[in-house]
Amino acid sequence: MSDLLKTVLQVGSAVAALASVGLGVWLGVKWAPPRSRVNARPVLLGMAALALALLVLGNWMGLVWTPSEREMGDVYRIIYVHVPAMWMAMLALVVNFACCVGYLLKTSWKTDALAEATAEVGLLFGTYGLVLGAIWGKPTWGTYWDWDPRLTAMAIMLVTYVAYMALRRFVEDPEKRAVWSSVVGIISFVNLPIVWFSVKWWRSLHQVQSTPKTVDPDMTLALRVNAWASLILLTLFLLHRYRTALATREAEVALPEALPTDVPGPNRASEVA
Amino acid sequence: MITALTLSPLLAQVGSGRIQGGWEYIWAAYIIAWASLSLYALSLWLRRPGQASHDSKE
Repeated sequence: MSDLLKTVLQVGSAVAALASVGLGVWLGVKWAPPRSRVNARPVLLGMAALALALLVLGNWMGLVWTPSEREMGDVYRIIYVHVPAMWMAMLALVVNFACCVGYLLKTSWKTDALAEATAEVGLLFGTYGLVLGAIWGKPTWGTYWDWDPRLTAMAIMLVTYVAYMALRRFVEDPEKRAVWSSVVGIISFVNLPIVWFSVKWWRSLHQVQSTPKTVDPDMTLALRVNAWASLILLTLFLLHRYRTALATREAEVALPEALPTDVPGPNRASEVA
Repeated sequence: MITALTLSPLLAQVGSGRIQGGWEYIWAAYIIAWASLSLYALSLWLRRPGQASHDSKE
């Protein structure tokens, strides 16, 4: 692959992903709310096609184009799916933390719906990222699982977000659910910096964070393409989940029995729209 | 007594000093990644709001 093509791919994938995030935010405002009249289908299909194309290209680069690693041989190729998944999980959970804090500062169903969406999507990426890490661990460490600081902290964090989602399922009152889950979300987030820095703070079996600065330059481009593809997917997932959460919230607040007695129904319903 | 003849099968097992093979782990990882993303996308489609049909009508 020529240097020019590499540069085009590097810049092109980054621009495409960041533009998709921008479009995702715009669609979140214009298309996601219930009864929106915006026709988002062409944009959504374009974003999905772009994500799929970049993901196929990134996976091909990871499986075929990049060289073997000096010590891990070919097994290291799991990095191209494991690391982007973990990055997306952390990104989603950072947004979840911001939404949880934001909801407690200023009550809004939209913030609550975005918190719900980010927790679920973050849990998806984090869970399969952890499974991929375990698969990578077997040929390199000789075991699928070890109670090392990074793995343990990550597992605890995922359990707390499972608790967050469970809480949201069990509490029927939308107001109480939003407040309580915001508190749980903030508590759960405390673990995220521990997960990130655990490989630096403790002598860990897990290697240091894989970033474009810590991996070989021959592997950087493939890692970036996979990460940008994952970012577009993350945006699409969040957008659709946010839209579903908003519609659910509107349906809930439209039902008088779902509301606290001191909150008038029509006013709360209008906040969702 | 260890001779070059007895060492060679041992060295062959050690290989080139890197992990050999392991493609079954790589395929498993990629398949799980794609399956996770595909199934979640499907779940989102199945959970889409009922009024989603307004997209196609307007």
